[in-house]
Amino acid sequence: MIAGLGLIVGGAGAGLFGSLLGLGGGVLIVPMLTLGFGMPLRDAVGVSLVSVIVTSSASASVYLQRHVANLRLGMTLELFTAFGALVGGLLAYLLDERTLAGLFAALLIYVAISMLVRHDPRAGGEGAVADDAETSDDEEPPSGGRDATARLSGPGYRIRHIGPGLVGSIGAGVVSALLGIGGGLVKVPVMNVIMGVPLRVATATSNLMIGITASASAVIYLVRGGIDPSVAAPIAVGAFVGASLGSRTAHRIDLRVLRLLFVGVLGYTAFEMTRKALLL
Amino acid sequence: MKVRSAGSGDRAGQGSLRAPFDLDRAIARLLTLGTYLSVLLLTVGIVSMAAAGRWPLQSPGVPGLDLARLPGDLAAARPAGFLWLGLLCMIATPSARVLAALLGYLRFGERSMVLVSVGILLVIAASVAIGLSGSGAA
Repeated sequence: MIAGLGLIVGGAGAGLFGSLLGLGGGVLIVPMLTLGFGMPLRDAVGVSLVSVIVTSSASASVYLQRHVANLRLGMTLELFTAFGALVGGLLAYLLDERTLAGLFAALLIYVAISMLVRHDPRAGGEGAVADDAETSDDEEPPSGGRDATARLSGPGYRIRHIGPGLVGSIGAGVVSALLGIGGGLVKVPVMNVIMGVPLRVATATSNLMIGITASASAVIYLVRGGIDPSVAAPIAVGAFVGASLGSRTAHRIDLRVLRLLFVGVLGYTAFEMTRKALLL
Repeated sequence: MKVRSAGSGDRAGQGSLRAPFDLDRAIARLLTLGTYLSVLLLTVGIVSMAAAGRWPLQSPGVPGLDLARLPGDLAAARPAGFLWLGLLCMIATPSARVLAALLGYLRFGERSMVLVSVGILLVIAASVAIGLSGSGAA
């Protein structure tokens, strides 16, 4: 019974963080399941992908309702992330547990450092969904032409560097499927820094996209028996509660405090995952 | 009359006055419906699992996914039926969202976004095919 409650609470925490920070929450769920509940890493990744889908669906519905997410841009990029996820889902069954744990530790360290050094919300930090990044409202709007850039741009901002954005999206998909995360860690900076999308829009659009990215690889895990429903269900229900709460309270929370807390959690889990990679 | 085309981020379509239809909101409703339905099924599965005195990570675990057995499990109110159906609904919700967008873009006659939507669905279909083809070996 304690395990069941622990999974629900853990899922809620991951959903809350994920929704607030534009992530899927997998960066917390995978370490929680492997380090806290002793699950094999690949099984934890499968469960995590389900919670990523929950977080995405619950958050994206709110962000779309409020017209914060850019549906066109999200769908165009997710074509490429889904392809990357397909490749990553296949690679995951070729790599051993230690390699996966090592990759995950490296990812956590990267996220923790990028969150610490990027204070400027325009600079691509992921932990600033509540920072109103729609600061480009005074920028010249797109000319209204029928080119791809104009079609994908939104009110007050114009998309740039589509090519690198698409390549980054494929990378986000591969990382997502390999490590059971939403890929928002890559997508948000790609959209914000490379493509010039305001951070709030990038975060909301990332939340929309991670559902497809995760489902493309979750299908592979599901069919290959890599998802335990007795673990995935409580995690998913918890993540739903957390993500719903997060997307409704994002504008009221001081994310500087949250970001520091998150960096602390990431640092600790990175340490534990490194140990796992070296000692397995 | 304010008319919105497919997606608030669309500048090319905003002034096209094609239909008084808000695709963003329609998709938001679909996502909400899919998520609530999945969470409801999963919650019923968890409660019925607990009522049967079973908890996560216990051995033996929940039987693997067997689509042929799913209707029988649901009819008999077995936890596995609700858990698997909830997971299937959850995983299918993003694809349903893409399908809804495809229909919306077809309605608006936006060929490029129709192609993008079809492309995403094809990648998902490829995932299912690859998963099925490798399931025997896994």
